[in-house]
Amino acid sequence: MKLHFPRVPVPIWPSPLLFVALLATAPARDLAAQDLIYRCENLVVAPDTVVSPGELLVRDGKVMHVGGEIPIETRARTRVVAFDGATIVPGFVLAHATLGQERDLAERAAPMTPGLRAAEAFDPFADELAALPRAGVTSCWLSPSSDNVAGGLAALVKPGRAGDMAMGTVRVDQGYAKFALGRPAAVEQSAPTSLMGAVDLLRQAFLAAGRGGGPVDAAVSTVQPSDLPELAAVLRGERPAVLQADSRAELLAALGLARELGFTPVLLGAAAAPDLLDRLAAARAPLLLRPLRPEMRDEELRLPAELERRGVPFAFVGPADQLRPAAALAVRHGCSRKVALAALTRTPAELCGSAAIHGALRRGCDADFAVFTGDPLDLGARLLATYVGGERLFGDAPPARVDPRELAARGGDL
Amino acid sequence: MSAFAARTARALALLSFALLSGALPSGALTAQDAVTVYRGARVLGTGGDPVDDAVLVVARGRVQSIGPAGAAIPAGARVVDVPGTTITPGLIDAAWDGGLGPNEQNEQGSEVTPAVRVLDGLDPEHPTFQRARRAGVTTVHVMPGTRNVIGGLSAVLKTWAPDPAAMVVREEAVLRATLGAEPSMQNRAIRGGRVESMYYRRPTTRMGVIWEIRRSFYDAQEYMQRTADGGGAGESGDRGLEVLARVLQGTLPLVTTARSQQDLRTALRLAEEFGYTPILDEAQDAHFVVDELQRAGVWVMVGAPSADSVAGMASVDGAEPRFSTLHKLAQANVPFVITTGTNGLALELVREATFACRFGLSRERALAAVTSLPAQLLQIADRVGTLAPGKDADFVVWSADPFDPTSRPLRVVVGGHDPSLEQ
Repeated sequence: MKLHFPRVPVPIWPSPLLFVALLATAPARDLAAQDLIYRCENLVVAPDTVVSPGELLVRDGKVMHVGGEIPIETRARTRVVAFDGATIVPGFVLAHATLGQERDLAERAAPMTPGLRAAEAFDPFADELAALPRAGVTSCWLSPSSDNVAGGLAALVKPGRAGDMAMGTVRVDQGYAKFALGRPAAVEQSAPTSLMGAVDLLRQAFLAAGRGGGPVDAAVSTVQPSDLPELAAVLRGERPAVLQADSRAELLAALGLARELGFTPVLLGAAAAPDLLDRLAAARAPLLLRPLRPEMRDEELRLPAELERRGVPFAFVGPADQLRPAAALAVRHGCSRKVALAALTRTPAELCGSAAIHGALRRGCDADFAVFTGDPLDLGARLLATYVGGERLFGDAPPARVDPRELAARGGDL
Repeated sequence: MSAFAARTARALALLSFALLSGALPSGALTAQDAVTVYRGARVLGTGGDPVDDAVLVVARGRVQSIGPAGAAIPAGARVVDVPGTTITPGLIDAAWDGGLGPNEQNEQGSEVTPAVRVLDGLDPEHPTFQRARRAGVTTVHVMPGTRNVIGGLSAVLKTWAPDPAAMVVREEAVLRATLGAEPSMQNRAIRGGRVESMYYRRPTTRMGVIWEIRRSFYDAQEYMQRTADGGGAGESGDRGLEVLARVLQGTLPLVTTARSQQDLRTALRLAEEFGYTPILDEAQDAHFVVDELQRAGVWVMVGAPSADSVAGMASVDGAEPRFSTLHKLAQANVPFVITTGTNGLALELVREATFACRFGLSRERALAAVTSLPAQLLQIADRVGTLAPGKDADFVVWSADPFDPTSRPLRVVVGGHDPSLEQ
């Protein structure tokens, strides 16, 4: 069906006032004007779906259509931003970060604070947040610190417009529940002081939550009854759990606890994972790994490939600018490109329970994407631009204009 | 093909795959399942007389038979000739100080943490396991550290197993309590801490330590009474009190670490007051209280009997170790085991037993004190501690009699696994 839009005569001597008046009186035309098609050589919709050449229609900050799905009529009246020869990928997702708020994310009053919300500690003007788009990162889970055994609920946050308006936003204010087994013991002057003490705290709190309340007998201090529903939601699988565990003992304790209590936490850190590959695979325990670095031991560098071989999902968390090099190193050491790219995009979104929002460029997802001169896992490729919610927060882009071919095909009829 | 037939065929295919790949224990043949015969050694610790020039048959991780020279060797068995050597059961260290990472031995969030389990903090690949195994120790008893008044639940582990879960012989074997200076020291905030720091909550005196134990058992008695009255104990979730109640009910042993005679007597007094039978640990001053120990009928785990002093923080307890302690305990028929314990001066377990022999303990009693008796004490004698058909194939091939100072372990076999054969 052909859509008819009112023709607006173009004034010979347009004044600014007339231009504003035109915008105000042509709503349909304005809607079209707000849509943008991003054109590129390769559009990575998701790590396993690449459209070439690619087109992405963005409306109201969301992905509206991809490639051939774009209706002809819409295509004809929508301006195009053509990134010739470039590759567009979903914006990178950082599954765990503190964004310079470490002190505000570590509540020292008690080791068990499962009800606290990281969103309350969010600084929308944080420099660390504004810097994310420079590395292709478009959203980030602000997480309670690993200093507490149960730190609280993470929040999905996004950077905002650059410059004086650098104000980020909270996209999800009560996300995954954060726990830690290894770090709390190292925090001086507070309980617990040992791994077994941390395990005991978690066990007793979860058992109480599973019972639906009642006193909690933990080694050190008690969790508040009002916190138990958050833990019960984790046990029911309604809320993802991220659990920091690094050493062999911590990882084994985490796996044992998960088996005992019947939930599957995402393990954060997992430094000793190379020693426990088969056990991690048997437990199907997903991992949030620190970025690989070239000086690491070979077994550490091969970890992503080994995890892929065993079907263990993983993502990278750490400084934003180390994510892409980490994925590139993983590929160099045997990991497939698909899984390595997923480790920056779709996998963290899935592990944190936010795959409907980001991590892929499917219809309905936030229009969070990064434009590279080539394959982002080729470190020779340069980041051209980063868009968050359809808004360019980093880089440059060619001017948006109606495709002259489309215009001609429509007989100049818009 | 009908749906049933298809399902059956698929099940059979899966079964045959499982059998071929060794996923099912029955019918699968692994290196450990192969029959291995150790021939020519003198075998001690069989529960009877030593067997000279023995034929020790091992399969599926267990001892199959121990026969004299000339005993039949199963067809197809791998024969390992070990003439001139001595085989003993794998040693059992009933108070072993390894397996936990630095700062992981003590949960100091509270002075009484009965429900804390050492198994939750264990590193199954901690290098101390390998070190112990190389010294002939095949089973260890890991207790929480000694900084808490009541520290938590211990675990008995093998020093090797194909996977960490298989290392566990007994979970929650005993509850550990500690008397003396250790739980009342470190009573200051570290590095500029404030007075409200949790490190100030400790008892600061011996009487404070003892009161913590007494108060815990008062609470447990009240809990038991509440339970008996139908107070819904199971729903209370107070696992710490449940653990203490098990001690009072006699279903969970309480190991009380006490070094000086003053603390040993206190341990006996507390046990009498609350009606449980304690196991005394470390017990460097046991030689002062032999009669009391005999009357109380308690087991004693003597830590590092070769040491003439107690190293570290526990030294302020004022214990005065004597080399003759074990001999005196043996003469008084006080059941005891030898451990390496917490004393930093401890030698390898076999050397501790060697030392005891030098000071009058018989070799048989010394061997029992590091094999069959700790197995009995830890309630694992059905699996380890002696070499007999059906028991775990945990044994050590020594170059000479194990208590000969020049003897060394040539092979340490745990659960039939002999690393030397793999090499």
